[in-house]
Amino acid sequence: MSRLRYMFRETGESIRRNPTLSVASVITAAVSLLIFGLTLIIQHGFDNLLSQWEGGVEMIVYVNSGAGEEQRVVIEDALGQQQGVTIESWSYCDVACSLSDADRLFAGDPVTRSQLTELNIPTQYKVVPLDATQVDILRGLRDRYLELPNVYSVQLAEEQLDLISKLQGFVSTYTTGLWIALMVAASLLIWNTIRTAMFARRREIEVMKLVGATDWFIRLPFMLEGLLQGVTGGAVASVAMWFINGRWTAGVEAFPANSGMTALVVVDGYEWRVGLIVVLFGALIGTIGSGTAASKFLDV
Amino acid sequence: MIRLENVTKRYSSEVVALDDVSFEVPKGEFVFLVGPSGSGKSTLLRLINRQERPEEGSVWVAGRDIVDMPNNRIPQLRRNIGNIFQDYKLLLNKTVFENIAFALEVIGQPQHVISQQVPAVIDLVGLSGKEDRFPHQLSGGEQQRVSIARAFVNRPLILVADEPTGNLDPSTGEGIMRLLDRINGTGTTVVMATHDRRIVDAMRRRVVQLDRGVIVRDQERGVYQ
Repeated sequence: MSRLRYMFRETGESIRRNPTLSVASVITAAVSLLIFGLTLIIQHGFDNLLSQWEGGVEMIVYVNSGAGEEQRVVIEDALGQQQGVTIESWSYCDVACSLSDADRLFAGDPVTRSQLTELNIPTQYKVVPLDATQVDILRGLRDRYLELPNVYSVQLAEEQLDLISKLQGFVSTYTTGLWIALMVAASLLIWNTIRTAMFARRREIEVMKLVGATDWFIRLPFMLEGLLQGVTGGAVASVAMWFINGRWTAGVEAFPANSGMTALVVVDGYEWRVGLIVVLFGALIGTIGSGTAASKFLDV
Repeated sequence: MIRLENVTKRYSSEVVALDDVSFEVPKGEFVFLVGPSGSGKSTLLRLINRQERPEEGSVWVAGRDIVDMPNNRIPQLRRNIGNIFQDYKLLLNKTVFENIAFALEVIGQPQHVISQQVPAVIDLVGLSGKEDRFPHQLSGGEQQRVSIARAFVNRPLILVADEPTGNLDPSTGEGIMRLLDRINGTGTTVVMATHDRRIVDAMRRRVVQLDRGVIVRDQERGVYQ
């Protein structure tokens, strides 16, 4: 108990002695962790946007709502004729499956989503072609399927997928590079803060060693200081991330339903998990920065 | 209590601090280490509390060879050795009480032990009533008493003192020596490096003289020369 009291007292004392560096460390950690968190959120938003095209699906045939099993047989026959020729496989996404897709696609547009019900939502056939690069063949198939009865529309992945995939790759690459660089910077700044704190207290450390304090006993208050800086940075980043995500989600609601951006939001609770991950990463960079400094500079 | 066997300590190929030094200090003895600056006195003290390691030979403290002692066992060794320095090494932002309590706190002693032992040792060194003063509010002699109290509060087996009177006037130095003598009277082994001829001659204790890293004299009830 007295050791714990000692550790927290010394940590508080150390932070009070060097508030400027401590604040700088927290801000740097917060900025890097915010970008890290936003990268995860953006990735998840893109995943939502592309979720309907998962599993190699390159074409979706939307069927009019209310089309019965007998009416769908015509479409399935047409798809079956191409199976093994141009189509590798296809699957039917019924009303429940289509409503689930709509939950993701219209996550940022609750008004449009609320208008889709079991009675009026088009069901879907998701088609995986043998060769996705044969765009002309897929376009030909689309034109043919559009003429079938009860087909509401046919959408090709190439119309949407290429642009979004390129955008996702671009955003991911640069934001990932940025958060990695900033996290290294945050860790180094925490490392430097702890080094400075240890140098300021070198006389105490010397006395502690001479009277028989263990290395861990000396290190722990410094490591706790770094941990607190990282966790505080993580908490600040989480709050900022939730705020930005909330503002973006509110903004997307104003986009037109056919903008293609209504799925680029995260409202499924994933943002809470990312918030926790961000705080844990803060703890990690704080511990790594302070732990390495506390070990390296113990012989001050 | 302390035994050095054929100890050689080099700081570089040219600088040999101790050269094949052997000597023994039984429990409860008071030993003066004398010799000119650079003769190896401080190095010898630093070998005893494992701040340094010799290139050759072995150093035994309280029955254990400490040369190859693993790092994680050194704190335990140092809890049995009190250190006193010429410059006191007090923490300027802590009071007399806090400076002394610090030595117990950092080895994990509980609060009730601290509140019992610290006042007792403050009384022993004659600083009762000055517990709440900071180092800058004390004289040099009083600061050295705090340093001695900090070294002794854990009741170590050995006290190692490196020129403890070096910064003090003669009468204050005598007071410090009386205090160290009293502590030695409790059975604590004291090894003290000094240049103070007057004190060595007055105390008439064992004198080990070093010169250029070699013991040139080891005399019971000796004088400075």
